[in-house]
Amino acid sequence: MNHAIELVNVTAGYKNKIILHNISLSLNEGDIGGIIGPNGAGKTTILNVITGILQPWTGKVAIYGKPLNKISPPERARLVGVIPASVTTPMNFSVREIVSMGRTGSIPRWKPISKNDEQIIERAMAYTGITDFQEQLYSELSAGEKQRVIIAMVLAQQPKIILMDEATSHLDINHKLEIMEIIERLNIEKKVTVLLISHDLNMAADYCKTLFLLNKGIIVAGGSPQKVITENNLRNVYGCDVNVHTDASSGLITVTPQRRLMPSQSGEGFTIHVIGGGGCAEELMRRLLLCKYNVTCGVLNEGDSDAILASALEIKTILEKPFSPISGESLARATQLASRADAVIISDVPFGSGNVSNLKIALESIKKGKKVFIKDGIENRDYTIDKSASSLAIELLNMGAIRWQNMSDLFSLLPSKEANKLL
Amino acid sequence: MKKRWLIVLLLCISVIPVILLSLSTGASGLGMPDTSTAMGQSIFLLRKTRIITGFIVGAALSCAGVVFQALLRNPLAEPYILGISSGAGLGSAIAILIGAATMNVFALPAVSFISAVITLMLVFRIASNNGNVPSIYSLILSGVIISSICSSMLMFIVAVAPVEGMHSVVWWMLGNLQPANSSLLFISSILILAGISILWTMSPEMNAMTLGTETAHYLGVRTNFVLYTTLAIATLITASAVGLAGLIGFIGLIVPHAARQIIGPNHKSLLPVSALLGGIFLVMCDTISRIILAPREIPVGVITALFGGPFFLILLRTRRKQGWIG
Repeated sequence: MNHAIELVNVTAGYKNKIILHNISLSLNEGDIGGIIGPNGAGKTTILNVITGILQPWTGKVAIYGKPLNKISPPERARLVGVIPASVTTPMNFSVREIVSMGRTGSIPRWKPISKNDEQIIERAMAYTGITDFQEQLYSELSAGEKQRVIIAMVLAQQPKIILMDEATSHLDINHKLEIMEIIERLNIEKKVTVLLISHDLNMAADYCKTLFLLNKGIIVAGGSPQKVITENNLRNVYGCDVNVHTDASSGLITVTPQRRLMPSQSGEGFTIHVIGGGGCAEELMRRLLLCKYNVTCGVLNEGDSDAILASALEIKTILEKPFSPISGESLARATQLASRADAVIISDVPFGSGNVSNLKIALESIKKGKKVFIKDGIENRDYTIDKSASSLAIELLNMGAIRWQNMSDLFSLLPSKEANKLL
Repeated sequence: MKKRWLIVLLLCISVIPVILLSLSTGASGLGMPDTSTAMGQSIFLLRKTRIITGFIVGAALSCAGVVFQALLRNPLAEPYILGISSGAGLGSAIAILIGAATMNVFALPAVSFISAVITLMLVFRIASNNGNVPSIYSLILSGVIISSICSSMLMFIVAVAPVEGMHSVVWWMLGNLQPANSSLLFISSILILAGISILWTMSPEMNAMTLGTETAHYLGVRTNFVLYTTLAIATLITASAVGLAGLIGFIGLIVPHAARQIIGPNHKSLLPVSALLGGIFLVMCDTISRIILAPREIPVGVITALFGGPFFLILLRTRRKQGWIG
């Protein structure tokens, strides 16, 4: 198969600053590709290399197998069209005049515009639905309309490849869809190869068949969106936690960044014992530490994801052997540890015969007058045969344990410096 | 489209009464000069040469203004923005003061032409550090700097110059269409007409360049080639006009705007309209300059702004929508 765009070992940069390190990527004819990555990763530099604005230091760039430096500018314009984020001109050109500029590279300098050129311009305007306002001034249009005019201008070039550089980032959701629908239609009907650069990960995942994740001038992942857009990849590249959700019915990928929480209270001098397991308490422990609480934990099985995090965060934890029920000895040590805490929090952890005795730690604490917080709905995660977890929970609640639903409610109930001041 | 060519046609037709009016007015009185007498013949020849010079110079300055405004994407750009005028002025002042100007009819125009070109090369050299392609902003900035330095030096020369020399320097700086040597006029006209024609063939590229250098590049325009060529040609025709008639201000700045109001920013029609409008305007101004204080003559550079200013102000106010945004 013919590669529409091919970059082989391209190194490029500006002046003395190297931006792209030995990049290789290729896009098949008729594909919709996307380049994603954080600011400063080199996305626009790749585009500048493909359009010939920037000469690569080493490596080769080829369009349909032909080296870019052997393609004349007018010929290049007939192969590659670019839709930038926005195009402005200080002059008051009409919409039709702007669209006609798409023919600049195709008409010899001394020749007037031909019937054929006029037809191409008409068709381009019809395709993007701007025929009705062709006599209006470009500068007086809305951002969405302007972008349609620019697409018509690019269509008048009759390119085989369309590059989009943040072409929809100024637009609202409806106009974004409108533009992307035109592009998708072009791809299907006219077999135009599309390469888009976007910060919008959801959009890139939605429309692209091939994605390249770029970081610091290196392609760190390439392939299908499912392969490239993973929590791990994005965390490594963007440096923040994200949730990647794949819709079971449509296969749509949605990426949502996790908000970094600012400590809302100070737990300095207070100790909280956490009963967790299976990763249910990870977020809780992280937030407690963020608020400067002294955190203890247990009993957990070795290798449990909560246990791994606890040891990474240097949380004092009572450990049991992997996949083993809690032994009497561990329980005693945990009870002693919990008795030194100001409060005990029971997280969203499910209970089975192996870990149900963790609830007894809470029971001992509440007997000593400590506060105990239980995540609501324990009966739904009680997998013990005799429903002993549920009955223990009822016992705890009868003794004054407090239910909690979400973390912000929970934190407002925890002892803290602010709470003490209020008293 | 049809309306546009009608405007061009109308402008072409209006050239005739302008020529007739200018031919029949002058310091020697109203009415067509009687070509049957020797006196009348020489007056006719004098006025005819002035009209041709006026048209050529007006067209050159307006077209150069159009090009500078389009490529520098700046409504304040004019043919003199890159320091050509100050450079030419400095060169000419030196030539006048050391007496070189009177040696040969070609001496003064040649000196002003050469110093204009040297100034432009200097501006480009400063704007493009390390051999990079100069950005529009650095071009304007270094143009303004060079221009200021040259005018300071010019002022210094004017300040220390002997009185009789000073008068001709000032006269030259204000610009005038006093009959030029016919072979000089011929050479300059050829240069200017050829320059405008080449610029006109490049109008699609100049249109694209107003979208910004990058977008023009995407459209298949050889941006550096177009930038250098058009600026060089615009400078060339400006320098020719300056050599012919000295520094005539205002036309290169305002006529392009007025032309854009009339016909829109598309260079294919804007350049011819600017050329015609600039030519007509300068010939009219020259006619006024000859008769307003007759038999004394005032420099045409004074008239262009004094009479043209209000006229174009009205034009700019009545047709806001065309031309520049805002």
